[in-house]
Amino acid sequence: MQLSRDALLHAYRRMATIRAFEERLHEEIKTGQIAGFTHLYCGQEAAAVGVCEHLADDDYIVSTHRGHGHCIAKGCDVKGMMKEIYGRRDGICKGKAGSMHIADISIGMLGANGIVGAGAPQAVGAAMAAKLDGKGKVSIAFSGDGACNQGTTFEAMNMAVVTKAPCIFVFENNHYSEHTGVEYAVGTARDIASRAEAFGMKVWRANGSDFFDTYEAMADLLAYVRGGGGPAAIELDTERFYGHFEGDPQRYRGPGELERIREQRDCLKSFRARVSAEGLLDLADLDAIDAEVAQLIEEATTEAQAAPAPDPSEVADDVYVSY
Amino acid sequence: MTVMSIRDAINHTLHAEMERDPNVVVLGEDIVGGNGTAGGPEAIGGIWGATGGLYAKFGPDRVIDTPISESAIVGAAAGLALAGKRPVAELMFADFIGVSLDQLWNQMAKFRYMFGGKTTCPAVVRMIYGAGMNAAAQHSQSVYALLTAMPGLKVVMPASPADAKGLLTEAIRGDDPVMFFEHKALFTMKGEVPDGDYRIPFGQARLTREGGDVTIVTCGRMVSFSEKAADNLAAEGIGCDVIDLRTTSPMDEEAILDSVEATGRIVIVDESPPRCSLAADIAALAANKAFTALKAPPQMVTGPHSPIPFARELEKAWVPSPAGIEDAVRRTLAFR
Amino acid sequence: MAKLTAFTMPKWGIEMSEGLVAEWMVSEGEDFAKGATLTLIETDKITNEIEAEAPGRFARILGEVGVTYPVGALLAVLAEGDASAGEVDAFIAAFQPADASFAGTEGDTASAPAAAAKPDAAPAIPDTLPISPAARARAIEMACDVSQLKGSGRGGRITLQDVDQATSLAAPLKLVGRLELSPQGEAFASPMARRLAAQHGVDLAGLSGTGPHGRISRADVMSKAATARPAPTAGEAGVERIVMTPMRKAIARRLTEAKTTIPHFYVRRRVRADRLLAFRAAAAGPRASVNDYLLRACALALIEVPQVNIQVHGTEIHRFAAADISVAVATDKGLITPVLRNADAMSVGEISVRMAELAQRARDGQLRPEQFEGGSFSLSNLGPYGVEQFDAIINPPQGAILAVGTARPEPIDDDGAFRIVPVLHLALSCDHRAIDGADGGRFLSAVAALIEQPERL
Repeated sequence: MQLSRDALLHAYRRMATIRAFEERLHEEIKTGQIAGFTHLYCGQEAAAVGVCEHLADDDYIVSTHRGHGHCIAKGCDVKGMMKEIYGRRDGICKGKAGSMHIADISIGMLGANGIVGAGAPQAVGAAMAAKLDGKGKVSIAFSGDGACNQGTTFEAMNMAVVTKAPCIFVFENNHYSEHTGVEYAVGTARDIASRAEAFGMKVWRANGSDFFDTYEAMADLLAYVRGGGGPAAIELDTERFYGHFEGDPQRYRGPGELERIREQRDCLKSFRARVSAEGLLDLADLDAIDAEVAQLIEEATTEAQAAPAPDPSEVADDVYVSY
Repeated sequence: MTVMSIRDAINHTLHAEMERDPNVVVLGEDIVGGNGTAGGPEAIGGIWGATGGLYAKFGPDRVIDTPISESAIVGAAAGLALAGKRPVAELMFADFIGVSLDQLWNQMAKFRYMFGGKTTCPAVVRMIYGAGMNAAAQHSQSVYALLTAMPGLKVVMPASPADAKGLLTEAIRGDDPVMFFEHKALFTMKGEVPDGDYRIPFGQARLTREGGDVTIVTCGRMVSFSEKAADNLAAEGIGCDVIDLRTTSPMDEEAILDSVEATGRIVIVDESPPRCSLAADIAALAANKAFTALKAPPQMVTGPHSPIPFARELEKAWVPSPAGIEDAVRRTLAFR
Repeated sequence: MAKLTAFTMPKWGIEMSEGLVAEWMVSEGEDFAKGATLTLIETDKITNEIEAEAPGRFARILGEVGVTYPVGALLAVLAEGDASAGEVDAFIAAFQPADASFAGTEGDTASAPAAAAKPDAAPAIPDTLPISPAARARAIEMACDVSQLKGSGRGGRITLQDVDQATSLAAPLKLVGRLELSPQGEAFASPMARRLAAQHGVDLAGLSGTGPHGRISRADVMSKAATARPAPTAGEAGVERIVMTPMRKAIARRLTEAKTTIPHFYVRRRVRADRLLAFRAAAAGPRASVNDYLLRACALALIEVPQVNIQVHGTEIHRFAAADISVAVATDKGLITPVLRNADAMSVGEISVRMAELAQRARDGQLRPEQFEGGSFSLSNLGPYGVEQFDAIINPPQGAILAVGTARPEPIDDDGAFRIVPVLHLALSCDHRAIDGADGGRFLSAVAALIEQPERL
């Protein structure tokens, strides 16, 4: 399918931003300045971006604990995100959320979630709301091969089908649920999409490490869903460069696995190769984007490091609207 | 004023709120009933009857029967709320919070706080609770203490039809997640309900009997039991304040403490086992903030530390009774 | 069998303690419907009707028209169904007015220690009995027979509270009873605020609330009630009205009680003070005041004439072995009388130091209760104000008080010679219920003798 030059540049910028953001975090976390758990998205950028490039601010997404990629792909403010991960007062969530719970409801990002599988029913609810509004909006539940085993995911899929909610279940199968391989944990192993199919929805499959493959499959899927076809699911096969969480010794990796992934499943590399081979873009344009992105991430990091911490007096703020 | 039952008051309020605000959406198991059957929708009319007539008026888009999927029901309510709707979800039995607890506890309760105050989750979860109908251990529990303990949720239990209307209206129009407890044995309780539109703010207790000797604090079905006990005692010259909390989160501490400071004796009636209960919470409040006023230790009238039994005689022995409440009042008066 | 219930004097408002039966609207045996007016009751605040809460009949009417009865008293017996005279009599006999029923279990019988406390009656506590260490110690201390106790702890364990309950003697219970349901109204007020507003006649409308969400609280109503007393009429020029402080009110009450209930008699004497003043001037060390010497003199005299070193309690006289003397100290809040304890065992110098401490603490408002309670005798000295003589009012429960004026040059008979020396006028006020004239006279002589021979001090 044909994407405009602007669309291609936009998609690349998004993916490059996610990559640079996560790689920088990978370095900074080692200094000990960042508290709590962080789960990096490097290697899966094409999945988030291939999906979200189709969405507007009033479409909804619900993310997982590995949510930075989805946040950036949906348009969250990068500097605000960095401050949030550093636990600063001016982070997107005022330092109350941290990495696992970043949200920006105003642009339809209904939150990363620390509970595996918890997002799926919420995405169905948002889809029910979208259906009531009748404007063709959709709601996307990002899940992993881990979440696909949670009862909430099954309940959500069935609920979406019986209520005909415009909910899209995106299963990013990155072959590991935490430290356990998908061959072991998922009864249907490399075939998660068939589960969704069994629940009664139409399914797609795509290469989640390739932007074009994902983008094109999603175009098809969204035409179906926005056209009133009901809920749908897509299984994106992808792999993550880093561990389940930062600090994960990754003893479950095979010899040479990490090198293979970096070499063969790097979506930025494959994007560059493709646009260059097909003469779609000048690589210099992509280099320029890389430089701008590097600059943005550098600023975001230094600003976050210097930003003020929340005041202890805020600890019990914003529990209720009024009490 | 119209005399109506609590069930009717709830039904009336749902109708009124759904008319007033197109964003109000109702969902739950068999709240319509009959979908996908030969009898068709509303063949059953909803198991508790509180949602009767809504489907006919507002249609399947806003009155949604769900499969048996409590996590998905509560989770969908959370998602609907984040996406700008005002969902009223029903848990057929409050005991089923077990199946859906994550969506209440880690999700709905925490959205506003985790997201830096930048969102609201105006969801209401109605849950039908309480013993007295031999529904046995898994369908009779009063689980409000658990939810009261969770910051971010509000917990409400009306004890009269007038309060049911005002409190449910407040719950639906308010912007915080509300756990709305309806006692199964109180659905038929009748009372006068003011006509027209009104809201009862949360955290405002109601004094249903007044007296100067003992403070009785309670909620839900135990309010009428406490009133019976108080009336019996009044005939002997013993005066009891009976405080109907109406809401346990937020809770009207001031009403409790004002009364305890006047009487010096407190009896808390709680239809639940004693450990980590609402009764224990209020006893601690009295001991902490009214210590010098107390003339006797706080008395807690609760069920035993056991699940709720099935047999009639056993359930009767389990649930606090007006006689048991009277005994507690006499015990506190006898303390030297 | 008929159901008989008591119809008692109601309680309207927390202050009401009695009411007068003004009129009966129904007669004995006459059936009445729900809502019928039964009787008219008058209190010092209001006159109100009592309406029947249910249809019924009075099997017996006891309250007499024109007679006042306390709250809770049995005025009539309500019957559902027929009741024989015997049943009604039995009911009346068994009836305990709410106040009396609890009082009856304590009262005078409590002054004898409870059976459980007989020192030799309590058996030893077996080691295997489940009882907390503190409870065991308390049981032993109070000689409590724990074998009769039902423990409230887990598994029947006996707790400290159980032992305290079994051995305590507390004041009788006074019940308030049921109160009228406060009007609900439109105002946003807490339940207690409504009740107090109704009782104190405060209008909730227009009150601003300091409670949560701006709710009118108890404090808001009570501060309005306090300020609602009529403001003093501005018309009387040159008159400043000062409301008595609680302390002033307490003084007023005590001294009124003393003056009206104690039969005072007065014993007066002049005493030469020249030798005392000379002795004082010649004394080494920091100079004690004349008052300190007088205290010492009183203390020694109280030991010499113990009939004056007493407190009077009803029909009992308590005689003390030591001399604890209350000394009047003027402060800007009023008269405070700290007690100088064991004054007989202290030298003038020690008395001086102690008095300085007590006086300062009194002025600073830092006296502890045990420092101004008690005492068996008082000394009041208006000498510094040039008063020649005066009569003081006894501080109950003490038996006497000595009033001293200034030392004025007056003529005395000094062993036949006519001399002018400083003379003190002493006036001793005594409680004639416990102290006779002779005792008063002897005491005053003793004091005089000591003042006139200061080396004995």
